Amino acid sequence: MKAVKVKGLDPDGTLADNAQRVVAARLDQLYDFVPAVLDPRRVKKLHNMRIAAKRLRYVLEVTSADCFGPYALTATKRVCELQDLLGEIHDCDIQLPRVQQIRAELSEDAVAELARRAGGAADLDPALASRLAHSEDWAGLAALEHYLTVRRGLLYDRFTTLWQDIERSAMRARLEYAIAERPSLAASDIETTATTQ
Amino acid sequence: MAKARPIPGLSGEMRYSDAAIATIAVRSDELFEYAAGVLDLTQIEAVHAMRVATRRLRSVLEFYEPCLESEQLEPILEQVCDLADVLGQRRDPDVELEALAGFAAAASEVERPGIERFIGRTSEQQQQANAELAQMLGQIEADDLRGRLAALIAPSPVVEPVAEAEAAPGEEHSATTAGGEQLATAADETAAPPVKSGWLRRR
Repeated sequence: MKAVKVKGLDPDGTLADNAQRVVAARLDQLYDFVPAVLDPRRVKKLHNMRIAAKRLRYVLEVTSADCFGPYALTATKRVCELQDLLGEIHDCDIQLPRVQQIRAELSEDAVAELARRAGGAADLDPALASRLAHSEDWAGLAALEHYLTVRRGLLYDRFTTLWQDIERSAMRARLEYAIAERPSLAASDIETTATTQ
Repeated sequence: MAKARPIPGLSGEMRYSDAAIATIAVRSDELFEYAAGVLDLTQIEAVHAMRVATRRLRSVLEFYEPCLESEQLEPILEQVCDLADVLGQRRDPDVELEALAGFAAAASEVERPGIERFIGRTSEQQQQANAELAQMLGQIEADDLRGRLAALIAPSPVVEPVAEAEAAPGEEHSATTAGGEQLATAADETAAPPVKSGWLRRR
């Protein structure tokens, strides 16, 4: 997924003003995946939302403390949490098809062996289906598949809860406000300014 | 996960293009520092740290793109993205194997062979990804990614003054300030534009 090109950036402008534009664009891109990601089957959308979260997080990581109001730091942590959780969901989405593929490959081998055992018989003797190739692998692979399926569901539930929290806390509006703020002068800076005047 | 190193001197009020130099310098150093031990399959955190450093570098290169010379930036960005992909391919089986070890430990005897079969496949994937990573690290070295990153944020080289013998008496030369900024002179207006490198070209 390509990063959205941000318009109006000025190399001679301040870091804060340019970062404000970039963060606003990255934030919009993150929210573009809602409501699609509220359907647990939208694997690709969830993956792309993770990438959008990652882009927003890394820009905030560089700029939030020096360029924006205090809420930007809080938002950085929330985005980081979101990215991590989406990453764990993605891991399940990658691993599960791999387990299923191995099961399918082994199943094909077992069927081919059973067909060989049957030879040219008119019907299949049930006893021939016993102790087929890889039969010792089934239990473990099935356990793994079930584990990943259920874990993915639990992680997805956590994601929806986290997203509700993010929405309830009005992260978008508060971050939009924070990026329009500039850090106030520290007390020592104010004293220095006062004495030099 | 390794924490992002703070950028010394960074402030919201500084110029965007100056912030690009400060940030990219730190993120580049981070990337190459984490390269040590990355091919050791028993040190999986090294891959993770380098992968995160690659992502951080990629992100800042994209963020500061308007301040950088696109002809220089594009191949660098492409190589950083390729590196991130290869590190990701190594990291995925690393994480998976760690989780599978825990899963196998909790499994019953009857379930263990199937889990071990899956672990075997994942280990093969890890070995293959490690070989690709070794190749990529060699390529980065050969292509001098580090040097190209340094050149991307290097200030413009000072233009060689016209040799005295060739200069007509009284002809003005281009001058350079202590900060390396070139001062325009009457002679510059007719001369070929100076060759500049990196981010300064756009200024």
